[in-house]
Amino acid sequence: MEKKPLLEVKNLKTYFYTEDGIVKAVDGVDFEVYPGETLGIVGESGSGKSVTSLSIMRLLDPNGEIVEGSEIIFEGKNLLELSEDEMRKIRGNDIAMIFQEPMVALNPVFTIGEQIMEAILLHQDVSKSEARKMAIEMLKKVGIPEPEKRVDEYPHELSGGMRQRAMIAMALSCRPKLLIADEPTTALDVTIQAQILELMRELQKEYGMAIILITHDVGVIAENADRVVVMYGGMVMETANVHELFKEMRHPYTWGLLNSLPRLDIEQERLYNIPGIVPDPLHFPPGCRFNTRCEFADEKCRKEIPPLYEVNKDHFSRCFYYQKVEEAQKLKKAGESA
Amino acid sequence: MNTELKRTLRKLFKNPSAILGFALLAFFILVAVFAPLIAPPINPLFPDENGNPMKLDDPYIMPILSWSSDPVPPSKDHPFGMIAGRDIFYGVVWGTRTAFKIGLIVVSASTLFGIIIGSIAGYFGGWIDEVLMRITDIFLSIPFLLAAMVLTTILGSGLDKVMIAMIIFGWMATARLIRANILQVKEEQFVLAAKALGIKNFIIIVRHILPNTIFPVLVQATMRLGSLVITAAALSFLGLGAPIGYADWGSMLNYTRNYILGSSGQALAYWYTVFYPGMAMVLFVLAWNLVGDALRDVFDPKLK
Repeated sequence: MEKKPLLEVKNLKTYFYTEDGIVKAVDGVDFEVYPGETLGIVGESGSGKSVTSLSIMRLLDPNGEIVEGSEIIFEGKNLLELSEDEMRKIRGNDIAMIFQEPMVALNPVFTIGEQIMEAILLHQDVSKSEARKMAIEMLKKVGIPEPEKRVDEYPHELSGGMRQRAMIAMALSCRPKLLIADEPTTALDVTIQAQILELMRELQKEYGMAIILITHDVGVIAENADRVVVMYGGMVMETANVHELFKEMRHPYTWGLLNSLPRLDIEQERLYNIPGIVPDPLHFPPGCRFNTRCEFADEKCRKEIPPLYEVNKDHFSRCFYYQKVEEAQKLKKAGESA
Repeated sequence: MNTELKRTLRKLFKNPSAILGFALLAFFILVAVFAPLIAPPINPLFPDENGNPMKLDDPYIMPILSWSSDPVPPSKDHPFGMIAGRDIFYGVVWGTRTAFKIGLIVVSASTLFGIIIGSIAGYFGGWIDEVLMRITDIFLSIPFLLAAMVLTTILGSGLDKVMIAMIIFGWMATARLIRANILQVKEEQFVLAAKALGIKNFIIIVRHILPNTIFPVLVQATMRLGSLVITAAALSFLGLGAPIGYADWGSMLNYTRNYILGSSGQALAYWYTVFYPGMAMVLFVLAWNLVGDALRDVFDPKLK
């Protein structure tokens, strides 16, 4: 059964022109999002995941530019070819976005009701009182107690978790087909995090929308994503469905990332960390962008950028030595079980 | 909302200088509103056909009540004294209206203009910002009094011309202030969130950004309201502003030029010619400054 993708990102390149040179924040990224699924995009800070999401919304800073040849196809339309007016109709209505910091993503001078109503009135042909009813309904849906009262409160009167719920209510008020969640739970307590993710899963089921979940938290990905894109240095390093990725990663970076999670089933003196730091996007190393931190890297990796190899059905890895990675994993597992 | 307002008001009226400022302002407003009752616009020297004193065509032109232009000390009929044949009390009372007129019109027009220029420059940035800010710099580099003098020479003198000159050369500080604030606020995530909802740029500026940046501008405008009256007075004193005999505090000081030093041996002989219009001006400026201070205390989020 081949489903038609809702969103296709093809060869997306987003460059920022700075005084020091061109920053290739996103450099040739491809992925698809299917209706109703959750695509996780994971990577360290500076890997280009947020820029990818802002590129889809076409909300880059003025010095950022999506390079010619990139394509972002949403329901058959290339978003990059739309006029600003047409794009504005898609934002909030078909594609909505929620942000990392619920503390600052709501306007302090308006009540949350006014902010939700603004989105509803903008995209739907309803009266003010209907919009208000819909806003209250939305607040109830996202689990805010006493929505009739809360609707008239200002953001500073709500807790962080409540604000993120209000943010979600605002983003979902027009029932978007795609929700981009950029680190939606990073700023929240762990218990609140779990509640918010649970809420997003429920609403996804109810509305049948697709979600792009952007995070650096591999644990969040494991629990929420159907498929995963691993990004590093503005490129896709590995992509697979979530079960396969966690069991049979075929890229040294993914392996490092998953290895740096704490584990309870084995005894560890210290947590593993990937040596080195994320390269400066102004001066990426030649060849594979991960070669400076990779234990498998050799001369070839320092010269050529590896292509995406299809290592399994729908499982791609950008590594010349994905087979070596597989062997090394088998050895390690054998060592652990012995 | 209501409790917020109450808290704000309570805070405002705990501050003695704020109370003084609002009281003075209220006093001036009352004087301006009831000017026709306090100083009736009539000329007792010329009775009309019924024997009543003649009504003035233009109440802002002080009637000439005596043919001697020398100052006359305060008396029962003329509590502030007389100069150039005109009643100083009448001039001070009707001058209050002139002061409000100049202050409110010039400040609201120049502030609005400054807000528009500053918002566009700050929000859109890039070359638009560059062009608008260089124009602002050019306007700022011209000495104000000189520019106003040249402009009134071109336009012709008169109170309205002075006001036009003050608007044309009075918007730059507001534009810079609002631009700086917008540069800061537009980076806030709620602006990005509003864009992500598909809201238009114009609405984002007016509804989302300006309410978060407007208070410093309002405070500045309030304080400027007072000081503008001094500027207008300076221009009137130089003979550029209001026509002769106009009820305007600055023009009234113009009459006193020959009497400021008093007569020989009596430095303070003609004190009343300077004191009353001058005092009105000082108190007017003080009122607006205190009100501006009070508003800043209430609205500045950093002091909360």
